[in-house]
Amino acid sequence: MSDDQASSVRYEEATKLYRGSSEPAVDHLSLEVPAGEICVLVGPSGCGKTTAMRMVNRTVEISEGDVFIGDHSIRDREPAQLRREIGYVIQQIGLFPHRTISQNIGAVPQLLGWEKDRIRARSAELLELIGLDPELGDRYPSQLSGGQQQRVGVARALAADPLVMLMDEPFGAIDPINRERLQNEFLRLQAEIQKTVLFVTHDIDEAIKMGDRIAVMREGGRVEQYATPAELLMAPATEFVEDFVGADRALKRLALMRVSDINLWEAPLAHVGQATAEVRAKLDAADVEVPFPLLVDGERRPLGWLSERDLGADVVPGRPDSPLGPVLELDDVMRDALADLLQHETQYAPVVDRRGKIVGVLSVEIISEFLASPEAKTDEHPAVERPHG
Amino acid sequence: MASVTLLAAAGEVGGDFFKERDVGDLCQAQPDHVFCFDWARENIDRFGTPTVQHLQIVIPAIVIGFVVAFALALLAHRTRWLQPPLLAATGVLYTIPSIAFFFLLLPVTGLGRDTAIIVLAAYTLQIIYRNTILGLDNVPASVKDAARGMGLTQRQILWKVELPLAVPEIIAGLRVAVVSTIAIATLAVLISAGGLGTQMYGSNLTFPTSIIMAAAIVMLMALAIDALLLLVQRLTTPWRRAAQS
Repeated sequence: MSDDQASSVRYEEATKLYRGSSEPAVDHLSLEVPAGEICVLVGPSGCGKTTAMRMVNRTVEISEGDVFIGDHSIRDREPAQLRREIGYVIQQIGLFPHRTISQNIGAVPQLLGWEKDRIRARSAELLELIGLDPELGDRYPSQLSGGQQQRVGVARALAADPLVMLMDEPFGAIDPINRERLQNEFLRLQAEIQKTVLFVTHDIDEAIKMGDRIAVMREGGRVEQYATPAELLMAPATEFVEDFVGADRALKRLALMRVSDINLWEAPLAHVGQATAEVRAKLDAADVEVPFPLLVDGERRPLGWLSERDLGADVVPGRPDSPLGPVLELDDVMRDALADLLQHETQYAPVVDRRGKIVGVLSVEIISEFLASPEAKTDEHPAVERPHG
Repeated sequence: MASVTLLAAAGEVGGDFFKERDVGDLCQAQPDHVFCFDWARENIDRFGTPTVQHLQIVIPAIVIGFVVAFALALLAHRTRWLQPPLLAATGVLYTIPSIAFFFLLLPVTGLGRDTAIIVLAAYTLQIIYRNTILGLDNVPASVKDAARGMGLTQRQILWKVELPLAVPEIIAGLRVAVVSTIAIATLAVLISAGGLGTQMYGSNLTFPTSIIMAAAIVMLMALAIDALLLLVQRLTTPWRRAAQS
């Protein structure tokens, strides 16, 4: 399959005025989504975000202006033909109840007149891509869970290898736990397939998580700000954006950072059998913020925290008094790391690299200092590396 | 249900169905018999031709009724403002008393099978039309939205998505129509169209065996066609059973 093809999407003064309405639903919208990026259209209900998205596949006809996919105006295309080149995922999923999962996935290829064998192979390939058992291909949609159905919805949209994907609140009807899982899966998938995606949501947190770029829209179909998530959080262009992003935007920035993006404390390390006097000396050094030594094994993997009682012995014992508690990884998203600390009611936790070796200690104090620092507001530091960026 | 006068009138126009029928000697010994098995065994042949005639009225009536009602439903599905007037029109047809309907058509189409077929077909319109519209309306909007967004044309959406999903309602309507059509077709005797009614109205009313046999055949016929339609529905909607399992 040639999943590397994607086209940019460019709105040029695109306007939608519904018959009988004096105010346009979308008002002279101009923005460009580079090929292979996720652009999230976000805003309160009635802001025209869905209308704007639907212009692209002509399920909403433009009143004025134009939309280009690559270099081609959508106005030049016959709507049904155009739509077969554009993936379409909606909140209510809309799988065909009377078709099996494989037939659902193969719907657009069938419209395009692919050979039966090729459709079957493509369905199987996509089932695997979205992590569903190939045996589910012969089931009907009603036999699948909501999360599985939405995965199939995504697979169906991808079937004919579209140039652009339109996703209208695709995870909006899924429970919070599965939503998070589906979001992560889609980001992982997107890293592989690199489609140009227009993603509509009313949830700013989802927008920040999913978007390479975010267009914040307000009533009347106007774009207030079109920026990367980090820019949006650091420098909201208008009061509306600031309100919409929320007072907790500093906290939201944590969702865009990984543990590796911040300076960690150095951990005072201790090894089994080491003299405690030596360890105590380390603790007394002026620049040590962590009050207890961390016991590590020969590979520098954390084993547990040593207590005052442990240090009362002559040599470091093999079994530390205090349990290790949560262990964080450099790749963890900062917000999740903070949640981990809070959940375990602990002030700090060791951070390890991919091989499990200790690299430092993350504390609630580090995070709160970061949030209070001017850096948190002005930092031009590129936020979390996008999966494909 | 039919008055004596009406029966007499029908007798004049309808020919010789109302002559006293020869009961034969078989059950003479027990004149107050409800059902005489001996007579039934001897006279089973009498019911062959009326049964065939009955089917010759019922099947064309249902086919014509279905084609017309289905076409009207598709028309009204596309042109929504037609829905109320069409529902009213088929509803008015449905409320005409059947005997009146037969006789009202006599001056136009005359005695015989054609008139019976027209009347019975007209009666099926309401139920088939209404159920087809209902089935099409029950298709979830999200499914149609997805179909359109994926690039199905209006025609493809209708034939590949909406109609297959409306099959249960359409067949439910057809089943009701079949049962009532088979029952009302017994009145076709009144306009000399034959059918199993000949074995009911032509009988000696003090000897009900013939009426009971004819009624039993009518009921069996209705059950058989009903079962056939149910089978068609099961074969065309495997996804519904999957949903229940």
